[in-house]
Amino acid sequence: MDLKINDQFYSSQAEPSDMLLWVIRDELGLTGTKFGCGAGICGACTIHVDGVAMRSCVTPAAAAEGKAITTVEGLATTQDDSERLHPVQEAFIEAQVPQCAWCMNGQMMTALAFLQANPKPSDDEITAAMGNNYCRCGCYVRIKVAVARAAELMEQANG
Amino acid sequence: MAKENPAKEQAAKDKRRWRVSRRGFLIGLGVVGGGLALGWRFGLPAARLGIANGLEEGGAPGGAEVSPDLWFEVNPDNTVSLYLMKVEMGQGVHTALAQLAAEELELPFENLQVIPASTARGIEDGFGTGGSTTISSLFTPLREGAATLRLMLQAKAAEKWSVEPDNLVAMNGSFFKQANPEETMTYAEAAQGVSDWEIPKDKPELKGIREFAVIGQPMQRVDFTEKLTGRAVYGYDARVDGMLYGAVARPPRFTATLKQASEGTARAVKGVVDVVIEDDFAGVVATSRGAAYRGLEALELDWDLGETYQQADIDALTQVRPGEGVVVQKEGRVAAKLKSATSIRAEYHSPMAAHAHLEPQAALVEVRSDRVIAQVSTQSPQLVRDEIAEALKRKKEDVEVTATYLGGGFGRRLNVEVAVEAARLSQAIGKPVHIGWNRSEEFRHGYVRPPTHSVLEAALDETGKIQAIRHELASGDVAFPFLPAFLSTIFGADFGAWRGGRFHYEGIENREVLSQRVKLPLKTGWWRGLGLLANTFAIESFMDELAHASGQDALEFRLRHLSASDHNQRLKRVLESAAEAAAWGTTLAEGRAHGIACSTDTKTVCAQVAEVSIEESKVRVHKITTAIDPGLIVNPDGVKAQTQGAIVFGLSSTFFEKLTIQDSQFAPQNFDTYPLITMKETPEIEVILRQSGEEPFGMGEPPLGPVAAAVANAVFALTGQRLRSLPLTLS
Ligand code: FES
Ligand code: FES
Repeated sequence: MDLKINDQFYSSQAEPSDMLLWVIRDELGLTGTKFGCGAGICGACTIHVDGVAMRSCVTPAAAAEGKAITTVEGLATTQDDSERLHPVQEAFIEAQVPQCAWCMNGQMMTALAFLQANPKPSDDEITAAMGNNYCRCGCYVRIKVAVARAAELMEQANG
Repeated sequence: MAKENPAKEQAAKDKRRWRVSRRGFLIGLGVVGGGLALGWRFGLPAARLGIANGLEEGGAPGGAEVSPDLWFEVNPDNTVSLYLMKVEMGQGVHTALAQLAAEELELPFENLQVIPASTARGIEDGFGTGGSTTISSLFTPLREGAATLRLMLQAKAAEKWSVEPDNLVAMNGSFFKQANPEETMTYAEAAQGVSDWEIPKDKPELKGIREFAVIGQPMQRVDFTEKLTGRAVYGYDARVDGMLYGAVARPPRFTATLKQASEGTARAVKGVVDVVIEDDFAGVVATSRGAAYRGLEALELDWDLGETYQQADIDALTQVRPGEGVVVQKEGRVAAKLKSATSIRAEYHSPMAAHAHLEPQAALVEVRSDRVIAQVSTQSPQLVRDEIAEALKRKKEDVEVTATYLGGGFGRRLNVEVAVEAARLSQAIGKPVHIGWNRSEEFRHGYVRPPTHSVLEAALDETGKIQAIRHELASGDVAFPFLPAFLSTIFGADFGAWRGGRFHYEGIENREVLSQRVKLPLKTGWWRGLGLLANTFAIESFMDELAHASGQDALEFRLRHLSASDHNQRLKRVLESAAEAAAWGTTLAEGRAHGIACSTDTKTVCAQVAEVSIEESKVRVHKITTAIDPGLIVNPDGVKAQTQGAIVFGLSSTFFEKLTIQDSQFAPQNFDTYPLITMKETPEIEVILRQSGEEPFGMGEPPLGPVAAAVANAVFALTGQRLRSLPLTLS
């Protein structure tokens, strides 16, 4: 089947019932999307399908056919030959959020989909939206700061 | 920010050969463009150092058979690479180490790149990365090496300019003449074309702490762009052309052994490439992970199930047997004092727990005829190399292990199983094999944090001062399973089990701690902080009980048992700082209360005040105020991050984590039955940094110590309920 990931087309040998996570990581080699539980609990594998945050470890490939998938590799853009990070990535660096960073794909992809739907969230709304993503290193205090900051940066970027 | 880790491009570099030189330094031979590579070893036994010095005289032709523990290379673009075998697992060591080196090199921080070495580069580091020791153990040697490198470059720059080295000044990666600051020579230019390097005779003089310009600054982590764009490679992400995926048969119980295995219908499963059955080992190799696991299910496996154990058996074994422990602290005369007074006594328990590092263990191994190449999420690359060599009966030199980035370590990756598994499969089928465990394998087939039981007893005098105090602890093994058996006889007690279990209150004249070994039918071992969390929970809860029993303020009670020693004064300072910042002793909002606790670990002292309330009959933590003194601070923001993270990690144990067994098997298979803390339960955390002395102590584990006790003590202050078991549950 054909999959559109970060505006590029990939042809995959996967069965429609194969979980997207393994198609994206193992077959197509985009390893920025991480595996933590395989059961939809930890959030490490979060991707966007048509802009909606999905847990790719429990999402069959068939569910993304004909749709636009975004992974963490698709967040930054290139301008004048240099990389421009996405405001969410910038905010996570500014707040020096990660430790091991294994969960951070999921944190950022979850945050981005949330902020697109709710550009000016309250603190409690951030906690509710981010409250189902595990970070074993315990970066929650900084994740919260970064998500609030990302909201500001995204607003500025959108002028 | 320093450059991104160019490990991949570097991986092609040949194994360097070294000439032994003065003061144990090694000069790299054959550096491209006549640059300079300078390496060194530390902790060499005297005899071997002697040999090294002897070689220097003789000038071992073509480089001696020695290799450095770490080394610098001056690159043509005037950056300097620092190669070392310390693993970045989230703790930020590559950033802090870069700070140490840049300081004495007089090099801009961003021109220093830390490159995690592979065992192929000849680096030896038998200890691995753990125990909160990286920065403290490298603090002096790394700066000395950096200063030596700078002086060597300075000597060559002076030669090229025909002036005395003393007339030059090093700044920002260049030298200039004092007399003529306009003219500069970069380090790379100084190194250009030189081959007769000489190590200075004397140890260089190092900067005093007041001269530090890089150390002590809140540097940004060097690994974040790579990590946040998805480019960083962890063990689970390692790839190579032609690789296949492996899965290994797991016993249905931790007591089970494989009696017999046959292929069954495994080969007929779509995607299965091969089936490997050897002695006690059965695995499947396939074109995808899914196919490999489906292949496993089609094997015919006959297990001897072994004995049946239940959680009640583990609980029954985890009991202090009075008077049987090995003494690990003894000051004064405890027994006599406790006998002659009415004493107070209490018992505390902590359960088994999982590491739950979010990246399950993973390895990619390629067994070739000439060598074995492995990329592994490990805290101990050298150990992995030795294990693979032994399993495959290959020479150690033919096995190259690179530690990738790790998705968390927490002690679990000091000893990983997956590398040998992948090596066995790769050896059998002649192709590179990647194995990444799934979450169920992580929960059920590793070693876990041991369960503990603590019994504390103390006698107070008529003024409410502690006359004598005793802590008897019983714990499953922590360090012993990984040490040669004779060492457990020498040590007597498992140092991992009693970590944090001794009394640091030097104002108590009579104190005694006994540690006893609980032999369990399952594997226990390293876990972040080792015994620190469980022992601090017991001791600091008990201190609180004593204060309340005698009507004393919990802070004052702790302070009055401190001595005038330097350590105890540091402890006093963090206790007072945390208390002051939290407004200890003032009236809180209705329904809220404070609790306090402190700990010492690797000489780092830490105090925490928890503010709690009860909501819907559950404990809610609103704020943790913490003051920490890790000696000299290298990267303040890194210290803050570690403190915040360790507190959250500790709160997860305080409220959620409890691993149980049923029918000789760990009960949980995934996070649905073993939940971790989330942002929803994470309180506000205020971190106050206190600095002291001229050397750094540990940071990765110490702030984990006090949190459970601080919360339990606050719960008591609020409800009168004393919770003596982790995780805390209100009755
Ligand atoms: S790996 Fe998908 S939610 Fe955990
Ligand atoms: S940074 Fe390690 S799991 Fe989140």
